[in-house]
Amino acid sequence: MLLWISPHLLLAIVAFLIYKRRVYREFPFFLLYALYEIGAFVLLYALNSISSVTAKQYTYAFMATLAISIALRFGVIKEVSEDLFREHSALRATARQSLRWSKVLLALIGIACAAFAPGEDGLGLMGGLAVINRGVAIIQSGLLVFLLVFARWFGLSWRGYAFGIAIGLGVLSSADLATSAIRAQIAGEQWSGVLNLLTTGSYLICALIWLGYILAPERKHSVAANVSVNEVDEWNRELQRWLRP
Amino acid sequence: MIITWILVVAGLFGLGVLAYIATRNRTNQIGMDGAISVIRSIDIEAFRNLVDPAEEAFLRASLSPKEFRKIKRERAWAALAYVRCAGRAAVLFAKAGQAAQRSSDPLIAESGVQIAHSALRLRLYTLQASLRILGQGMLPGTSDRPLSSLIDQYERTAETLLRLGRLRNQQNV
Repeated sequence: MLLWISPHLLLAIVAFLIYKRRVYREFPFFLLYALYEIGAFVLLYALNSISSVTAKQYTYAFMATLAISIALRFGVIKEVSEDLFREHSALRATARQSLRWSKVLLALIGIACAAFAPGEDGLGLMGGLAVINRGVAIIQSGLLVFLLVFARWFGLSWRGYAFGIAIGLGVLSSADLATSAIRAQIAGEQWSGVLNLLTTGSYLICALIWLGYILAPERKHSVAANVSVNEVDEWNRELQRWLRP
Repeated sequence: MIITWILVVAGLFGLGVLAYIATRNRTNQIGMDGAISVIRSIDIEAFRNLVDPAEEAFLRASLSPKEFRKIKRERAWAALAYVRCAGRAAVLFAKAGQAAQRSSDPLIAESGVQIAHSALRLRLYTLQASLRILGQGMLPGTSDRPLSSLIDQYERTAETLLRLGRLRNQQNV
């Protein structure tokens, strides 16, 4: 229970800091996502505590909140990628095209997985939900890993907040991919506890990453401002030698 | 069941990649020494010669098809090594450009924008060039378009960086 509550408490601190530091101007979707997750937690916690609410009713409420959460996560990924390429017009078209193709490819993988590994019969609603969640996790973790690798390959520098958001969400999606794959296939009562622990544990790590990056000061890349005259002379000498062989 | 384990491994692999990138991002320092040493390692004339279509036509005319394919394959691998070096230099230029972009001095910031723009375009060119050279290495009998645009782009990028260096010099005098 503590593992279920603590990430949301951290998320509340994250949401407060986003508001206080006016980070929401650049990442409005992320603030919306954080607030939504807190709201959804309060609702599900309340439903879980009310004895008259049946398991089926709780599952429907969980599915509805999860669907909105998934949609908001896509919004956060879009926000982070737009922030990354904002200053790089040379790459924007290539990045958009690459991301579009990655989405198509990952969606096809997700659909293929659903078709060829539809999950064990008899797992009911939760089994079906795990298959859908698995497909979504394939797309979201794939997109985030692609984005981070792409940025690294091109030497793009991330701003601290955007990088933290991408890493945190990537951890959550990748862990979701692993747990939902197991849940869709072999989830039983004996596994359910372990998988829930892994899911909430990864959510806690994700919230800690977000909090860490929000609290950490923005890194300054001041190489050009701190460069000495001798160093600039060396650049010039080397480049002139190289340009006029 | 195999798909399940593939997806579990994919999830864990994703976590590993994220951990690697997160730790590298914290420790990554932008050093111009690295950029200079990469520039030093590239002999632009030798690279120009390796991808020169006239040189290729000469080799094709003077060698037997078998010898030509062998030589062309070797030249393609050598050219690929140059392109990889150019790509590494482009990344360093891109980082230097982005750092300069955040300077409080508007002239340096403007130069930084240009450097980053040119370097990112160069990185894209190196990707295209690598694919084309790989194709040439694997199918040496086929002819291909020249790679002069890559060399020109590289020279333009270096020239922009040179301008930034001059600018800093003027300010420090």
